Amino acid sequence: MPTEKDYQISPVVQESIAHNSRTLFNYQSLTASLFGVCAGILGLESYAGFLFYIIATLSTCFLFYALRVAPTSIPAGKAPLDTSRYFRGAFEFWTSGLSGGLAGFILTWTLFYGLVRA
Amino acid sequence: MTWISKSTTFFGLVLLAHACYSAQEHSALQSFRTTSVVSPSSPGTTAVSLPIDISLETLVATAIICFGLALGTPPLRPIQWRVWAGKIEREGEEGFMNADGEVSRDYVGNPFKMLETRPGFVDIRRQRKEFAEWVRSSDERGEVQG
Repeated sequence: MPTEKDYQISPVVQESIAHNSRTLFNYQSLTASLFGVCAGILGLESYAGFLFYIIATLSTCFLFYALRVAPTSIPAGKAPLDTSRYFRGAFEFWTSGLSGGLAGFILTWTLFYGLVRA
Repeated sequence: MTWISKSTTFFGLVLLAHACYSAQEHSALQSFRTTSVVSPSSPGTTAVSLPIDISLETLVATAIICFGLALGTPPLRPIQWRVWAGKIEREGEEGFMNADGEVSRDYVGNPFKMLETRPGFVDIRRQRKEFAEWVRSSDERGEVQG
């Protein structure tokens, strides 16, 4: 855990943190609604739907990492799956989408389940 | 690169709409069959699962849309101050384009601007010499013309 002294030695840019978090959050919200559509069409119910959501959200995290983080952070000398060049916490990066997009997921899930199986 | 992302997302959306329509038609057909055919031998056939091709189309469409959306996200910015400032020094405005090729609104420019324009760093003697030379040259020009 970095201390205040570490932040004074190597300061961070707050605007960049906000920009990166916003980018990730927008992407996660869009894909969460999309997974709701997919789960509704497939007709998933109860635990299967939530399991689908968790797996799909984690795989979009990997996709986002592979397309946006990895091409610049691995040449910069970071280890694979290390997001410290763009995000402050690794846990925040990998799991923030689960809570952020859940409401949109359930909304479109129930909507499309009802539409398809009317 | 933005048209690649947009066309990929659009293609995925078309696939997803087609899958949704197929699933809806399938369920409508199933309910029609179960109500029209009076066969006491098979009473509970309402819970027919989706055909495998519709399921596959839905999953593939979702993956394609996710890929397209991820391609369309704006590039991330380094959060460490020295990495961020080095990127600005090296790339300038080109490193801070958004997806449409415009410089983003919160681009602040050179982070060392405050240091480079500090009044204490102005070489006042050289500027005075340059000014004196300019005055002298304009005087000579004035004499030539007059």
